[in-house]
Order: sequence, then structure tokens, then C-alpha cells
Amino acid sequence: MENKEKKGNAFTNNPIVKAVGAQKIVVLLAVILLYVVFFVMSSSFRQYTTLVSLLDSSYYIGFMAIGVTFCLITGGVDLSIGTGMICYALMGAFCIVKLGMPVGVGMLICVVAGIIFGFFNGFLVAILNLPPFIATLCTMMITRGLGSIFTGGLSIAWPSSSTPQGWFRTIFKINTSGVLLPIGIVFLVLAVVIMSLVLNKTRPGRYIIAIGSNKEALRLSGVNVVKWQWLAYVISGFFTGLAAIAYAGVLSSSVAPGSGAGLELNAIGAAIIGGTSMNGGSGTVVGTLLGVLIMSLLNIGLPNIGLQANWQQIITGLVLILAISLDVFKNKKLARA
Amino acid sequence: MKKKVLSVLLSVTMVAAMVIGCGNTATETKTDDAATTEEKTEAPAEEKTEDTEKTDAAATGDMSFEIVSKGFQHQYWQAVLKGAENKAKELGVKINFVGPNTESDIADQVQMLNSAINNSPAGIGLAALDTEACMDGITAAQSAGIPIVGFDSGVPGAPDGAIVATVATDNYAAGELAAENLYPAIKDIIASATAPVRVGVLSQDATSESVGNRGLGFIDKLASLVVADGKTATVEGNDKFVTDSKCEKTDGANVVIEVAVPAQVDASLSKTDCETLLNKADTIAIYGSNQHSGEAMVSANETLQKFGSGEGKVIGVAFDSGEVIKSAVANGTFLGAITQAPVAMGEALIQTLADAAAGKTVSDQDTGCQWYTAENMESEEIAQNLYD
Repeated sequence: MENKEKKGNAFTNNPIVKAVGAQKIVVLLAVILLYVVFFVMSSSFRQYTTLVSLLDSSYYIGFMAIGVTFCLITGGVDLSIGTGMICYALMGAFCIVKLGMPVGVGMLICVVAGIIFGFFNGFLVAILNLPPFIATLCTMMITRGLGSIFTGGLSIAWPSSSTPQGWFRTIFKINTSGVLLPIGIVFLVLAVVIMSLVLNKTRPGRYIIAIGSNKEALRLSGVNVVKWQWLAYVISGFFTGLAAIAYAGVLSSSVAPGSGAGLELNAIGAAIIGGTSMNGGSGTVVGTLLGVLIMSLLNIGLPNIGLQANWQQIITGLVLILAISLDVFKNKKLARA
Repeated sequence: MKKKVLSVLLSVTMVAAMVIGCGNTATETKTDDAATTEEKTEAPAEEKTEDTEKTDAAATGDMSFEIVSKGFQHQYWQAVLKGAENKAKELGVKINFVGPNTESDIADQVQMLNSAINNSPAGIGLAALDTEACMDGITAAQSAGIPIVGFDSGVPGAPDGAIVATVATDNYAAGELAAENLYPAIKDIIASATAPVRVGVLSQDATSESVGNRGLGFIDKLASLVVADGKTATVEGNDKFVTDSKCEKTDGANVVIEVAVPAQVDASLSKTDCETLLNKADTIAIYGSNQHSGEAMVSANETLQKFGSGEGKVIGVAFDSGEVIKSAVANGTFLGAITQAPVAMGEALIQTLADAAAGKTVSDQDTGCQWYTAENMESEEIAQNLYD
């Protein structure tokens, strides 16, 4: 889609590649390649349950990544999503376990808290004109501290699947006569489809892309830039709230106050692998989903082939370098054309 | 029109945020207030009794002690307090047990230590949040001739002679206890196995002393039990554990102890580590050396359903308590878990303080730990040490 240069090779000139976008095809091939490599190398990876775990870890990174894609496309970033997710999950857990509220209310609290912080981020960036990196770095610290204060420093677990309150866990995986169905994928794909349409087919979406490519030109043409830039952060906050529910839903562990820093980089990394430009102006939600799958594949696959934790980090880093190089390379090519 | 709708929406959200925010602060302050009033009501009473105590002390030899803990955030500390109170009643001594609001309030704890010294007690119990910050207080206590007994994590790095003794859990021994209790359950499988079998160890990190020792104690003990029965064992996985363990590296050993440590403390990474271990066909048991790892085992089991007892099941052993691990032990998912003994720690602390104040020689003490299973976790002796 972005490759409009007249020259090009057989691959980029292929009509299907043109329609879908070269980057997405490359990432999709990488997903398949990684899957096959792990499949061949590790017998434990071949088990069905590993696929379920793979999707488990995709849900919360996926929701965060969908949201942050919008911020990245405006040329900004949202660093508060990792600690924010933990903070909202703690708030929800506190209300359910300590205040005895129904789980549904706890989930709603996660989403509302996410939207409120999204609003706050948007206010800092769009109205006060703070650099997004700094503004969201501050909210990252705030959410980290707030989560601890909310529970009085205690770590709290969401209701377990064996209790009646644990029904919310079946949103992501349901056990039907011994077979686990990872139905969370339905919601993730649904979110991707909806947000793809929003980004590409609606006015707010097109404005968000335009902010990233040339904010000044858009402002001069009479568009309320502040509003649409603000919206990008609210979207990010909303999806972080959903991520908090997914995090609580797939992990039985108690949510630990003070944790979550670093998780945002998994989501941002996924969006960038998926072809979203760090400079803004381009990116797709489908690409982000593919990026999320790559991150999850690395997270799940590398331990399965027996690599120690530190090697996993190195390999993940190398894959990110490769993805960003592709992005830089593509931009250079575009500039030359 | 659109603008109006947006601004109305904005205002509503902001007001909502304010209401929610204010609501929290209100309750927060209230509880804080309640806590302070409680403290206040307690404090004068304490002081009074101390005053009378001082006159009594001369006559009957009674003593008073100041205990400066790390706070009451965790149920664990409530249990330490209970043990200390029990022992104080038994010995007929007075104690004043204090602690900061959170384990980050170092300055508050220093303040508490200073006022503890000003009360000139017969001894001070201290679980320092930051040894360096407490140094002035420790020196002041030393020159005033007040003995300090460290407890829980103690006062690491304190100068020689400043702390007369430390009462704490011996984490290495706690790890050994886990291995001793796991071994009978896997002994027959190892004996009858035709191929090597695997025992997984999940450790939250490789740097913390307590978690590290819990892992090493388990590995060393399990390896020695295996070797004592005429089989061989080896350690694989995380380099630090492989190097630090006493177990010799053996090729083709009958029992492979594999240690998994995530790159960072993250529930999802530890869950993956556990799933990877569970997915290996030769894994017969997994040990999680703290609450984080134990809970990751529960998360992994949600998908794999492999923990339990019987044919084809993997035996799970965890550490610490908390709602998640307690229910996994209660419903038979885990064979059992180790809990520290905070009540015994509280008791030992007061006993050591009393001995030190009486001029007896005191030494470091392991306050022990307990193995709990679905059968014994309801008993009073165990239940008092389990917390949510």
C-alpha cells in the first residue's frame, strides 16, 4: 500500500502484495516461519495446550498494542500502558475481593479507570503540549504508585476459576468436556477488525493518521487537531483497561503492586514489528496483531526450545532491530522514489 | 453541537474522576485516622503501664521491650505480633510493637527506632528496612547499653557487635524441608523409572538471598536423597543455580533437576516457564520457591491441568501462603507447601530479648518453617502461620 514507487521487484509489484501491504506479508511469513521452526524443534511446543498459552499471552499484549498503535500513528507514544494495566487490574481486584463488588463491576472499573487515564494523557499531550514520551512517562510513575496506594501495598488475586465469581475467566478460555477453547481470540480479532475500520474508514481515524504525517498542514486546513490527538490517547487508555481484564483473566497469580513496568515495551515493540512507524503517519491494526503474535511466539517458543531467559531477551531484541531496520529501509526507499 | 456534546462528556468524566478520587482520599484518611486514634489510645496506655512498669521493674525484675517491625501491610506481620504477645504474656514482660505504614517508609521507621531508644527499654527488636538509615539509632542504642535483636530479615550489614542476635527463617533449611517432603512421593517413580526423570524448580530470581537459598536448599537436599538411594542427579538450567549447587554435574543422570528463572519478575514469564516444564514428558514434580512462583504454577495449571496426584500427574510443591496457593493445597492440586513460622518468630524474638536483657549469652536462631498439606492446614498450629 505504501510502496507506490514505480520501480520495484516482482514481489512488491504483485497485486496481492500491493493490496495487503508488503510489510504485513513479510510479518505474516515471519509468524508462520517462527511457528514452523518451534514446531519442528520442540515436541512440547507441538501440544495443543501450548497454542492455548500462546493465545493467553497474546490477549493482554494485544489489547495494549491495539491502543498504543493509535498513539504511535499520531507520532506520539503511551508509556503508561504497562503500569496502567496493573494499576487498573489492582483497582478491580480490590473492589471485588475487599469491597465485595460483583466481578462485572470490577471489570467496568478497569475500563473506566483506563479511559480516565487516557483522558489525562491526552490532556497533557494535546492541550499542554508536553512531549508524549515525558507526559506518559509521568503517568507511568503515577499509575505505578496509585495501584499500590489503592490496595495499601497488598497484592490481590482476582477470583479463581473454581469460585462462582471466577466466571469472567471463561471469557478467554472455556473448558468444554475436557477441551480448552481459547475463545478470547474471538474478542481480540473483533477488536482488530473494528479498530481497523475506525482507523481506515472513519474521519477520526484518517485525522489521526494525518496528525502523524503532517500535523501543521492538518491544523491549517481547519481540522480540530487537539481533539483527534486527544482521542488517540483515550483509545489507548480504553484498550489498556481491556488489557487489565485480560491480564486478570488469563493469570491466576495475584496482581503485584509496583509491577508492570516493561510490559508496555512488549506492546510498543509488537506495533512496530507490525509496521507502525515510530515517526507517526503510518501503521495498521492488523499489522499490530501480527506483531503481537511474533512477540508471543518468541515469549512462548524460546523457553520451549530450551533457551535460558537471558538468551530469550537477546533474541527478542535482535528481532526488534530487524523489524525497525525494515521500517527505516522502507522509509528511505519511499524518500528516494 | 458536537463540541457541546464533547465538552459535556469531558466535564462529566472530570467530575466523575474528582468524585472517585475524593472518595478514595476520604476513606483513606478515615482508615488512617482510625489507625492513628487506635495507636493514640494504645500509646498512652502503653506509656502508663510502662511508667508503672519501671517502678515495678526495680522491685520485681520485670522488663519492657520495644519492637520495631516493617509494618503491618502483610498478614505475616500480624502473625509475628501474635507470637510476640503470647510470649510476652508468658514471661510477664511488656512490649510495644510498632511499624511504619508501608515497607517504603524508611524515614518513619528511623523515627520509630529513635523514640524506642528514648523510652530506654530493656531491649529492642529490629527488622530494618534500611540498615544505613538506622545506623545512628543503632549506635545510640549501643552507647546506651540497650541490646538490639534483629528479626525477620534482621539488620543486614550492621557492624560487628551492634546486633546481639538475629532470629529469622533459615531459608536454606526451608528449601531442604520441601525436598524432604516431596521425596517420599516421587521415590518409587524414580526407583522404577527406565529413563531419566525431571524435577523442575521455579525461582523468581537468582539474585535475592532468600529466594536463592530456598532453591539451593531444595536442590542440594533432593540430590543427596536421590544419591543416597543409589541413583544419580544433576542440575540444569539457570547458570547461577547450577554453579552454586553442591550437586555435581553428571551426564545421563537418573534425575535431572531443572531450574527456571525468568528474565524479570513477571507473572506471565513464570507461567510460561512452568508450562514449558509441565509439557516435558519426563517431568514428575515441580517446586515453586516463593509466592510468585507458586502462583505461576496455579496459572499454568489452568491450561494444562497436570498438577495433582496419581498416574500421569505432576506433583506440585509450593512455598508461602496467600489465597491462591492455600486453595491449591486445599483442593489437592499441590501436594503441599512450606510456610515460614511468623508466630514462632515472634515468640523467639521476645525470648531472645529477655535472655539478652538478663545478661545471658544469646545466639542467632532459626525460627523454623512448617510443611502444610490439605490434611493439616486447618490445625491451629499451622493455620496461625497461614495468611491471605
